[in-house]
Formats: sequence, structure tokens, C-alpha cells
Amino acid sequence: MEGSSSQLFDDDQKSSGASKFLFNLPSRGHLSSTVISSNLGGMRVYICEHNTSPPESQHIKTNQQNILIRSLMLNDKNGDSSSKDVKAAAEGPRKRAAERVMDSRASAKKANTQEGSSSRAAEKDYHSLTVERLRALLKERGLSPKGKKDELIARLKCVNGSSQKSE
Amino acid sequence: MSTWNYVVTAHKPTNVTHSCVGNFTGPQELNLIVAKCTRIEIHLLTAQGLQPMLDVPIYGRIATLELFRPHGEAQDFLFIATERYKFCVLQWDSETSELITRAMGDVSDRIGRPTDNGQIGIIDPDCRLIGLHLYDGLFKVIPFDNKGQLKEAFNIRLEELQVLDIKFLYGCSKPTIVVLYQDNKDARHVKTYEVALKEKDFVEGPWSQNNLDNGADLLIPVPPPLCGVLIVGEETIVYCSANAFKAIPIRPSITKAYGRVDADGSRYLLGDHAGLLHLLVITHEKEKVTGLKIELLGETSIASTISYLDNAVVFIGSSYGDSQLIKLNLQPDAKGSYVEVLERFVNLGPIVDFCVVDLERQGQGQVVTCSGAYKDGSLRVVRNGIGINEQASVELQGIKGMWSLRSSTDDPFDTFLVVSFISETRILAMNLEDELEETEIEGFNSQVQTLFCHDAVYNQLVQVTSSSVRLVSSTSRELRNEWHAPSGYSVNVATANATQVLLATGGGHLVYLEIGDGTLTEVKHAQLEYEISCLDINPIGENSNYSHLAAVGMWTDISVRIFSLPELNLITKEQLGGEIIPRSVLLCSFEGTSYLLCALGDGHLLNFQVNMSNGELTDRKKVSLGTQPITLRTFSSKNTTHVFASSDRPTVIYSSNKKLLYSNVNLKEVGHMCPFNSAAFPDSLAIAKEGELTIGTIDDIQKLHIRTIPLGEHARRICHQEQSRTFAICCLKNQSSADESEMHFIRLLDDQTLECISTYPLDTFEYGCSILSCSFSDDTNVYYCVGTAYVLPEENEPTKGRILVFIVEDGKLQLIAEKETKGAVYSLNAFNGKLLAAINQKIQLYKWMLREDGSREIQTECGHHGHILALYVKTRGDFIVVGDLMKSISLLIYKHEEGAIEERARDYNANWMSAVEILDDDTYLGAENNFNLFTVRKNSEGATDEERGRLEVIGEYHLGEFVNRFRHGSLVMRLPDSEVGQIQTVIFGTVNGAIGVIASLPHDQYVFLEKLQSNLRKVIKGVGGLSHEQWRSFNNEKRTAEAKNFLDGDLIESFLDLSRGKMEEVSKGMGVSVEELSKRVEELTRLH
Repeated sequence: MEGSSSQLFDDDQKSSGASKFLFNLPSRGHLSSTVISSNLGGMRVYICEHNTSPPESQHIKTNQQNILIRSLMLNDKNGDSSSKDVKAAAEGPRKRAAERVMDSRASAKKANTQEGSSSRAAEKDYHSLTVERLRALLKERGLSPKGKKDELIARLKCVNGSSQKSE
Repeated sequence: MSTWNYVVTAHKPTNVTHSCVGNFTGPQELNLIVAKCTRIEIHLLTAQGLQPMLDVPIYGRIATLELFRPHGEAQDFLFIATERYKFCVLQWDSETSELITRAMGDVSDRIGRPTDNGQIGIIDPDCRLIGLHLYDGLFKVIPFDNKGQLKEAFNIRLEELQVLDIKFLYGCSKPTIVVLYQDNKDARHVKTYEVALKEKDFVEGPWSQNNLDNGADLLIPVPPPLCGVLIVGEETIVYCSANAFKAIPIRPSITKAYGRVDADGSRYLLGDHAGLLHLLVITHEKEKVTGLKIELLGETSIASTISYLDNAVVFIGSSYGDSQLIKLNLQPDAKGSYVEVLERFVNLGPIVDFCVVDLERQGQGQVVTCSGAYKDGSLRVVRNGIGINEQASVELQGIKGMWSLRSSTDDPFDTFLVVSFISETRILAMNLEDELEETEIEGFNSQVQTLFCHDAVYNQLVQVTSSSVRLVSSTSRELRNEWHAPSGYSVNVATANATQVLLATGGGHLVYLEIGDGTLTEVKHAQLEYEISCLDINPIGENSNYSHLAAVGMWTDISVRIFSLPELNLITKEQLGGEIIPRSVLLCSFEGTSYLLCALGDGHLLNFQVNMSNGELTDRKKVSLGTQPITLRTFSSKNTTHVFASSDRPTVIYSSNKKLLYSNVNLKEVGHMCPFNSAAFPDSLAIAKEGELTIGTIDDIQKLHIRTIPLGEHARRICHQEQSRTFAICCLKNQSSADESEMHFIRLLDDQTLECISTYPLDTFEYGCSILSCSFSDDTNVYYCVGTAYVLPEENEPTKGRILVFIVEDGKLQLIAEKETKGAVYSLNAFNGKLLAAINQKIQLYKWMLREDGSREIQTECGHHGHILALYVKTRGDFIVVGDLMKSISLLIYKHEEGAIEERARDYNANWMSAVEILDDDTYLGAENNFNLFTVRKNSEGATDEERGRLEVIGEYHLGEFVNRFRHGSLVMRLPDSEVGQIQTVIFGTVNGAIGVIASLPHDQYVFLEKLQSNLRKVIKGVGGLSHEQWRSFNNEKRTAEAKNFLDGDLIESFLDLSRGKMEEVSKGMGVSVEELSKRVEELTRLH
């Protein structure tokens, strides 16, 4: 519509530059007077005398829960609904607490591997890890830490798949 | 003592940072909403133009302003987020004309690094959520529920740390953001994310695009049906969506703002850093984008925001120059520009420097600012009061009265100007050459003094002299009727309107006449007990030719009385009190309210509200306008009636927001004034002053007047030299050529015309950093001293600069001496007949020496190290106050005997300073880069050296404005007799173009006003539920502390705008009457 109208305009008049694009600017009937004046009365300074507190429920605060904890909890819930083995999921947090005492770094990863029930999430997690950490994970599992990142991830996934099956 | 300070805005911020258009005040009403730092302005679009509606103060610096339409609402809501992490959603209630808070909250996080590239606030086009990017690596989501209510906010981790822009995409089934970011190799990419509200996380979006233009800085989401996003870079513009990628090269430029023209998003306006306006067109076939086109439209102010209004009219909001209303024409003008500027909105920001001068030597300060930046740089002369633009003047001594008359009743213009002298009356008229020449009206008696003249109905004129009233035809100019004063009596005072004459003769006789067609009828006579001093029958009722009330001022009992007409019955008698007789009374009407003004012989003015039906006088108020008798006259300007009070301090009385305001006129002494609206001098006034009759037009009736002197280059420092009557400025011009080099100059301007009369170019890479007018000991000449820096691209800090000493000879800058320095000369001060310079981290004192050959040179005397960068220096006696880049304020002393500068004390807080000033011997004022003000005090009585070496922080306040300069001075004339006249004031200028005043109050007044402020906080609520107390609390990265020893004058002065009921509420809380409170607050308003 725009194109055709501008072409029409182009044909009957040799307009240079921007003219053809300035055709048909939107108008809703305002500012239509030939003499536009901005001096149409003074600006009133607003003095707010009424109560300005918002409705009770609309006093917005930010959820203070740590993003990591929240995502873990959400995953937990997802695990609850999707996983058939409710018991294992319920055991999860207790296990994690115990493991945390031993080695926080390792526990976080294990928690991930245990709770990351969908392999896609796990895959994504691996991609976000550094090569160093991937190597550490491989070492933990007694695998070779050599090779490119993709190879490392493939190796880890391979092992995970089998471990999940065994669980 | 200057401990207790009162901060008030004299000129509100004018820098436009945001604007948006939508249906805010009603479903059918289209509004333009403009954000100016701490205020928003709401305008209504009408057929005739932009109609201003409301100016709303916000307790915060506005970071985001967006209009949005929640589901099921008929009109838009306004979302505002402030820089101190508060947000609110406002709705307009058209029934009460109030802003309703729909939601508000705090979106700060305890941990997080504030973003470098500014806060981003965006709203999903389908209104599912509000997105905020406030801290690096975090994206905050405030979701809407399906009823349009906001829910608890949550954060999502955003992998991209250096975010440049985030926008919501249109037409996505799930809310999708597009993120423009820079990686750690400085390459720029865009990426999309879907916001999964249930999972409270991001999901990888439908597309991404790597390795964009290195200058890509702006995202423009394209609405349906096209969808996708435009990525605007410095050399290319790219259209990007899941299935299309189109790019066009552009002339290198930095795009600062965009505005969408069409609802379907096929045309956009882009404004760049040089103020060029382009039209960007997305060409498309149906929903398939086929390409991009860009066309240059013309030049505007450098835009910070662009809003397409309607009918080819566009609002250009600017931070660097005046904001504009422009029209896009279909055909280019002679210069090839499609842009026509319809209107300019004055913007002083950024005020980089200013000086306070008294050019007219009237005892009233004017502020001359270095305003604007780049091509929009200008000087602005800001003064309080109303100016008269003289158009013609004649020398005429001894004028006793003036009146203008028309040649026929329905003539729109005045023809005659009747000028009365002690023993004659002269009549001036415009001749065919539009010159004022003397003429005659045969029917007038021109051998005696005229007491009053007026146009009358039936093409007649009335002249009142001491012996008679003459009715004259204005066409034949012949006498038609005459009324003679009774023998033995002479007329003392008289007044008239088109149909009535009221006069008083000696012995207290009051005579009332009515005018007919060729008739003068004595209708009524009254005998009063005392002599009459003044009277008025100005019609302010429904009939504009006939008044039902007469006001009469009396000798002896010092009263003013209201009589009914035609009966001459006494209705009201008001004792004025005191011993000064009323000299002039006037009935007038402002904004629908009727007033009686009564001027006394000592320059005081009383005003009352008049009840038109029963003549009752209420709301008595008294102000002092001058010291001499006042004569009152009404006049019209821009279709509004105002009152001119002629006296030694001429004043215009007008009304705004139903409040009487007094604005002084910038003339020295006016004896008489009358409006003279002739064809050659439309809307003019005739003014008799100091042996001169002047005809001139009057400025717009408002408090502050701003004269703009466009420079086309960026002025950075200004200084006035009284002796040579010149200004000197340091300025820079951006070369338009491709190499983007800057050239710096010292320019000399005439202080009256403000024209450049001499220029001294600085070297390549040399910047003018400071300028000073001073004289030295043992030398009577006055010099301009300029401090410079060589800013080389490879250096972090300048290591070389110069001090140049100029003298003004024959209107030229002559270089007298120069001295190389080892750094940038950030500040120069005259100091004990010597020159004190701040050079990088050093304070250096120079003396002015006479060489053997008679020439002069600057010699190093002594110095003081120990600053990071000594940026701002002020001196008083032997004391030197230094504002450091990051080490707050320190106090140095110059020891004459040893010829050394030593540190005496310092403030150990880490404040990054932007300006300092000395308030008194012991108290120093500072402004820092988190928009705070603070005061520190020297502790001379401290017991230990440690205590004495510490400047104690005594006052803290969040101004919310970045102060660039403090100067002592005042914008208003100081009347020595008034209480306000004794108060010391400092003026400040800010980046946002605000000019403010800091007044040091006596302690008892401070305590009183502090109590008033806390009472007002209970009555005046912050818009959007924002708290005043929090807003004014001192705040920097490290701590927040309640404001102390500073008061918010803007809040206190808004007492005068409160409704009567709320005033009474405050008055009850204070235990002081409303009248007393009004009087005390009104006094404060006269500080600025």
C-alpha cells in the first residue's frame, strides 16, 4: 500500500529525495490548524494532595530467593511431577546436604546430574562449564581428560547415560 | 553562620530526556508526555497545537518513561522508573484530574553492579511483563497477571554482561527479548531470549546474529505485520528477523534517538549526534521485507528523544539545545530541508559554566550561562523580571499623567496619546508615516493639567480637568457637553469608564456622572467626612462598560471604601492601619477572581478579594513593592489583563494558579504608564520615566526571562570584565570535516550586544580550561587570564598547559604574557594580588613581575601538592578551598611570612566533586557526582591537631541534579529594608539546565521551616507513592543518610499552591495561622 502510493507519486511528479517517502504521513486530526501554537494556556504545577500509596497487593517487591536455589527448586518440582520415582527425588535434598559437607564442588555437580532428569538440561549444563571443570568431572569418573570440549562432553554424556540407566 | 541552608529551584530543569505519545488523559485524548529529569510534563494534542496540561514533580531522576495499555483498559498507563531503583505505574483519573498510583515498588537488589550503559526499562507489547535491566548480568521481570495486576518481581541471570540495548519483539507467542551486547573482544552481537514466566528463566530465542557493526548501539523493534528488529549502527542499519536480513550502509553517524512514524512500523525518524534528521523506510511487499531506504530530511536540535505526534508534526526533545516542534514538509525548502521548525522550547542544559553580572547596574543580578553543547551551544542571559523592548522614545520632562484614546468606539487601535503636564495637556497621535506627532483635539482644554481621560460610548471622549468634565466627539473632535465644578471647588481626583465618571472635589464631595449620547448627567452626589485621595470605577462585572462598585481611598482616617453605583451608598469600609495614605486604588479581575488593589504612599500594596455581589473585602494581604508612591493601571498582553504598578520599583502584578504574583519590570523608575495599542506599535505601553516618554512592548509575563545568543559552538567557560564591559569565553568548535578535529578559541564579546569582537585561537590539541578577570598588585590594569591544557590523544592526563594573560585594548585581546605549566590549568583565582592556579595535582601561586625592559611576566612563587586532581578552587582571604576529583574538599592556607601554602584540614570522605563554594569563613559547600550537596565546617576549636585537621560534615542533601558551578549572587533585587535582603545566597547551574538558589537562613527561621517541611510532607504526597524523605536523603555508592541542615524550598513553597483546607491542616499542625504561614513562605519566594 505504502509502496504503490509512493510509486504513483513518483510517476506524475519528479520528486527528489525524501518527498516520495513523506507522502501520506499518519494523521488523526490533531495539529491540523495551519498555525500551530504551543501557547495554549499555562502549565499547572501538580500538587498531589490525595493518598498516593498503591492498592495493597500492588506494592511490588522482588523475590529475594537466590537464582540458583530457585532454579534448583523449580527443577525439583518438575522432577516431582515428571519422574516416576518419587522416593528418589525426595531423597535428593537430604543427600545433597550430606554431600555438601564433604565436597561442595563435587556435590553441586552430582546434584545436577541426579536432578537433571532431562538429558537436554544436562547437555546444556555441560556446555556452560569450562573445559577445566569438564576435565575434573571426567577425572572423577576415572575417564581420560584429554581432547576437545565437544569430545569431553560426549564422553561425559556417554557415562551419564549409562549411570542413569544403572540407577 | 551558614549552617542552615534552604535549596530552591529558580528555573526548572529543561533538558528533555524522554518523551512518549499515547491516550493518557482519556480514551479519545492524545497526549505528549515529556520527561525533564525530575519532572514530567503532560500536553494535550489539539487541532490548534500542543496544549500544556500539567507539570508533575517526581521524587526521583527519571530513568524510564513508557506508556502502555494493560488488557481491558480504555486508556494508557504511565510507567516511570527512577535512577534510585523505584518504579511506579500511574493512571489518570479524568474525573478528579488526579494521578492515581496503580502500582509502585522498589526494584533494587542488595548485590549487583549497576549497569554502565544506563538503566533499561521495557514493556512487553502484549503486556505480559515489564522488563528491567538495572544491574550487569541480571534481567528483572515484573509479570502481569491476566487482570492486568502486577505480581512479585524476580531476577533472571543474563549471560551477556555488556548489554547495550534490550527490546521486546513484537508478534511472538511467548514474550521475547532481543539483546544487543558486546563480548569481551569488543565485537557486538544480538541474541534473542524467550522469557519463560513459569520457569522464571530464559529459553534460547528463535534467532541470533553475530558480528554486527562495531558501533551498533540501538535496537528498534518493528511492530506487526513485519516484526523483527532494526539494529542501528554507526555505519550500517540492519533489519533482522527470524527469516530476513537486510542491511544498508549509512553516512558515519551516531544515532541518538528514533521515533516511529507509522503504526505498522514502515517508517522511522532517526536523529543523529550532529542534529541531522533522517527518515528510515522499510520497503516491503505484503509481509516480506524487501529492503531499507534512508533519506536525509534536514537539521534539528541534537535529539535525545523523537516523538511523532500527528499530521506530520514531530516533537524533538533535546538535551543539548532547545527542544523543538517541527513539521515535515512534502517539498523541500530552498535549502533542501524538509524540516520546518514550528516552535522552540527553551532549554538551558547543560549549563557548563555561568557568571552573575549586573549589566544594567540596577543592583539586580543576571545570570549568563554557557548552555548547550556542540552545534547547539549558546549563551543565555537569564534575569528575573520583565523587560521592556523600547521601540521609540522622546524626551519629555514633567509628565503628570498619560492616557490613550481611540478615534472611534469600535476602532481596535488607539490613536491618541494624551500627555498631561503641570499646566498644559499635549496630545500626540500617529501620523500617516507612523510617527508620533503632536496634534490637537479641539474640544479638549489643553491649557490646564488633565486629571483623567477615557474613551466613552457613542464615539466620544471624556476629559476631566480641575474645573470641569468635557465630553468631546472623537470624530469631529468638538465639544459636545461640559459639566462644571461648583464654584469655589476644584476637582482633585477623577476616574471614568465608557459610561460613568466619578470625581472628588475638595471638602470630601464625591460626584457621580453618567455619560449619554452628547449628555453628561450628574446622577448622585455624596458628602464624605474627609478628603478623598484616590478612586476607581474600573468595570469588572458582567458589563464591561458599567461598574456597580466604586472604590475610594480616604485621607485622615486612612481607609478604603466601597460604594455602590449609581446610589453612592457605602457598602464596605476597610481601615488600612498605619499613617500612610492610599495613593491609588484599582478594581481588577484575574482568572475570574475580583480583587481590590490599594497602593500606599510608601510603596506598600494591599490586596483584597472583592465579593462582586455584596462588595465585601476578604483575604487582605500586604506586600512591599518599593519605597515611593505607586500608581496602578491595568493593561493587556496576550489577551490577559495584568496590572502595572508605577513607582521607583515598577512591578507587574499578575495571577497564576489563582495566586497573585509580582514580577519586577527592568526599568529604574516609572512615573506613569498607559497601554498604547496603536497600529504601528501593537500591544505596546507608553511609559514615562526620568524625563523621557518611551513606547515599547513588554516581554511575556513570567518570572524569569531568558535571552538566547546562539553561538553554533560549545562554550565551556565564561567570565565578565566590568572595566572593559566585555565577556570572555573559552569555546570549542567541532570541525564538520571527516577528521573530527576540534578547534578551541578564546572569544571576547561585547557585554551589551553579546557579539564577538575579538578571537584568540588556541593551539592544536589545546583546550581552554579556566578563565578569570583580575588585576595584580602594583599594576592598575585589569587582565583576562586563561588556563589551558594540551590534551594529546596518547596521554591519560594532560602533562602540559599554559597560562595566558590578555589585556583588552581597542576591543581586541592582546596577549601580554604567557607561562607554560606542567599540566592542565583547571582553575584560576585572583589571590592577594597574585594568581592562584590549580594544575593537575598541584596548587600553584604565581606573582606578577615587572621586567627591566618594562614588560611583565608571571613567576612561580610557591605551591602545594597532595591532590588527585585539584579541579575546583575558591579562595577567601588567605584561605584556599580545593575540590578534588575524588578526595572531597580540603582547606589550605597561604602563609605570607614563609611564602608557603599548607594544608589546614580536609574532609576524609571519598566524594567525587563537581563544584565547591565558600559559604562563610568556616563553612564550605560542595556538590558531587551522585547528585548530592553537602556542607563541611572547619573545626578551629578542636582540642587536638587531628580534630583541627578534619573538616566536619554538617549538612547533607540529595539535590538530584548534577551541579557544574556555584556562584555567589542573587537573581533578584535586594531591598535593604526587607528581612530577605539580609540572607546570603549562592546560585547553582546544573547539567539539566536548572538554576537554583541556596540561601543560608538564620537558625530560628530554619527551625520554623523545618517544622513546616515535615508538616507539608504529611499533606503533599509524592506522585506514584514515592517518598520525599527518601528522595532527599544523601545517597552515594557507599551509604544513604537522611538529609540534614538542608531544606527543600520547592516543597515548602508549594504550600502556597495548596487548597485552603489543606493549608488549614498544615496550619493546625504548626500552630500558626494560614495568613502568617503564607506571608512567611511568600517572603521566601522572593529569594529567587
